[in-house]
Amino acid sequence: MAAEITVGRLTKRYGETLAVDDLSFTVEAGRVTGFLGPNGSGKSTTLRALLGLIRPTSGTALVMGRPFHELRDPVRAVGAALDAHDVHPGRSGRGHLRTIAAAAGIPNTRVDEVLEMVELTPARDRRVKGYSMGMRQRLALGAALLGDPKILMLDEPANGLDPQGMRWLRDILVSLAADGRAVLISSHVLSEVEQTVDSVVVIGAGRLVMQGTLADLVKGDRRPILVRSPQAGELRALLEEHGASVAIDGRPDTMIVHRSTLETIGTLAAESGIPIFELTHERATLEDRFLELTGEKGNVR
Amino acid sequence: MRALRSEWLKLVSVRTTWALLGTMIVLEGLTAALVTGLSDLDDLRDRSVATLAIGTHLAIVFMFTLGALLSTNEYRHGTANSTFVVTPRRERVIAAKLAVGLAVGIVGALLYIAVNAGLGLSILSSRGIDVDSDTAVDTYLGVGTGLVLGCLFGVALGALLRNQIFTVVTGMVLFLLAGTAALFLGNDVGQYFPGESLLALNGTPGADKTLLTQTQGGLVLVGYCVVIGIAGMVLTREREIT
Repeated sequence: MAAEITVGRLTKRYGETLAVDDLSFTVEAGRVTGFLGPNGSGKSTTLRALLGLIRPTSGTALVMGRPFHELRDPVRAVGAALDAHDVHPGRSGRGHLRTIAAAAGIPNTRVDEVLEMVELTPARDRRVKGYSMGMRQRLALGAALLGDPKILMLDEPANGLDPQGMRWLRDILVSLAADGRAVLISSHVLSEVEQTVDSVVVIGAGRLVMQGTLADLVKGDRRPILVRSPQAGELRALLEEHGASVAIDGRPDTMIVHRSTLETIGTLAAESGIPIFELTHERATLEDRFLELTGEKGNVR
Repeated sequence: MRALRSEWLKLVSVRTTWALLGTMIVLEGLTAALVTGLSDLDDLRDRSVATLAIGTHLAIVFMFTLGALLSTNEYRHGTANSTFVVTPRRERVIAAKLAVGLAVGIVGALLYIAVNAGLGLSILSSRGIDVDSDTAVDTYLGVGTGLVLGCLFGVALGALLRNQIFTVVTGMVLFLLAGTAALFLGNDVGQYFPGESLLALNGTPGADKTLLTQTQGGLVLVGYCVVIGIAGMVLTREREIT
C-alpha cells in the first residue's frame, strides 16, 4: 500500500538546537501508527512540518506525496489535533468546531455529527473553559474529524484521558484505521498506545531509533532472560556452550541469562529434552524496551 | 469567502466582543450626557461641536482592542494551529480578519454616533444650544472614520506583533499620547503620530493644535493601516507557527 505520510531526511534546526535530525519514516493507510519518543524528542516539530506550520531546514515532510500547502483540499486530506488546549476558552465546543467548519466550507450539520461521534453532544453549547481535559481531547479529535480526512495526525491524544476515555479513543482510532485511513498518534508513554497501535516509529533526540511493528520493537531485546528449569545445571552448561552468560538466581532451578534470546533458549532446551517451566524477559514490559531504546538519546537538548 | 465566514463566527461567538462594544456604548452615553448636561452654558456655547467627539479617545481604546483581539486571540489561545492548517494560504486569513475588523468597526462607529447624537445633541438642544447640521455631519464622519480605522489598526498591528498584551499596550501608547507626541517630537514629525492624526481626523475645534486637516489626518491613518496590514500579511505567511 502506498505511504500516506513520507518523511524524508527531515532536519529542523532552531538556532543552535537540532530539533529533528535527518529523520526518515513512512506511515501507511489502514493502520494506527504510534509516533513514540520522550518529551522534547522532536515529535511535535515533525508533525508541524508535515502540516506546513513550520518549514524544514532540509529534507521533506510529505502528505500524500506532496508538501502540505500543495494539497488541493487539506481538510479532507488531513485531520490534525496538535494540542487539546488550542481552543478559545470563551467559545462553546460547538462554536469552536463551527469556526473551523466555516473556514473549510463544511456544513454545520457535519459539526453536530462529529460532536455526536466524540460524545460531546450534551456539552456542545457549554463554554470550553468548563471542559475537562478529556472533553478537550474529544473536541480536538472532533475538529480533526470534521473533513472526514484520509489521514489523521494526533499529538498526544491520550494525554489526560481516564481509563474509559483511553478505551474509547482506542476503539475509535482502530475503527478509523480499519476504514482505510492512516492514523498517526504521538505519545511519550508507550503503555498509553500499546494496545492501539499496529506499528511504531520511535524517535529520540530528533533521530529515528526504529520503525516497525510492535513485535519488532521487542525483538532484538537485550534485557536479561529469566529461565526456570528442573535441570538448570544441564541447561546452563548448554547455554554457556552457545555463548550466553548465566547466573543462578537465588533458587537452584532459576537462572538469569544474558547474551541470548528467548527463541535460542527455548530451541536448545527442546532439542536436548530439557523441560522449561518459565522463560521470560526479566521485566517483560514494552516500557523498558522503549526506555532502553530512547533513554540514551532522549535527554532534553 | 470561507475564511471571512470563519472570522466573523470567531468574532461573534465570544462574549468579549459584546462586552467591549457594550462597555464602549455605556461609557460614551455617560460621558456625552454628563458633559452636555452638566457643563457651564457659556462653555458649551463655545465648544458645543467638541462635545460630539467627546469620549472618542475612550471609544478608540475599545475599538482598537476589539481589532487587536481578532488577530492576537489566535496566538493567545493557540487556535492559529487549526486556523492555518485549514487555510494554508495564511494571507487570506489576515485579509478576512481585516474585512471583519472593517465591518465591526463600522458597527461600533454607528453605535457611537447613535448614542452621541441621541443623548448629546438632544441634551444640548434642550439647553438651547443648536449645533449646525453641516458641522455635525463633518464631525461625526471624522469620528466614525477614526473608530473604524482604529479597529483596523488593531487587526493589522495584532497580525504583526502577535502578542496580545504587547499589541494592546502599543496601541494605547500610539493613540493616547495624542497631543503630547507633537510636543516631544516637534510638529513636523509629531503631526503624523497616530494619536495626532486621529485628533485631526476628528476635526473638532478643540483640536486647533493639530496641523493636519481632517482629510489629511484620515489619510495618514489609512496609510498606517495599509502598511502595517500588508506587513502583517507578509510576515504571517513567512512565519513559523510553533
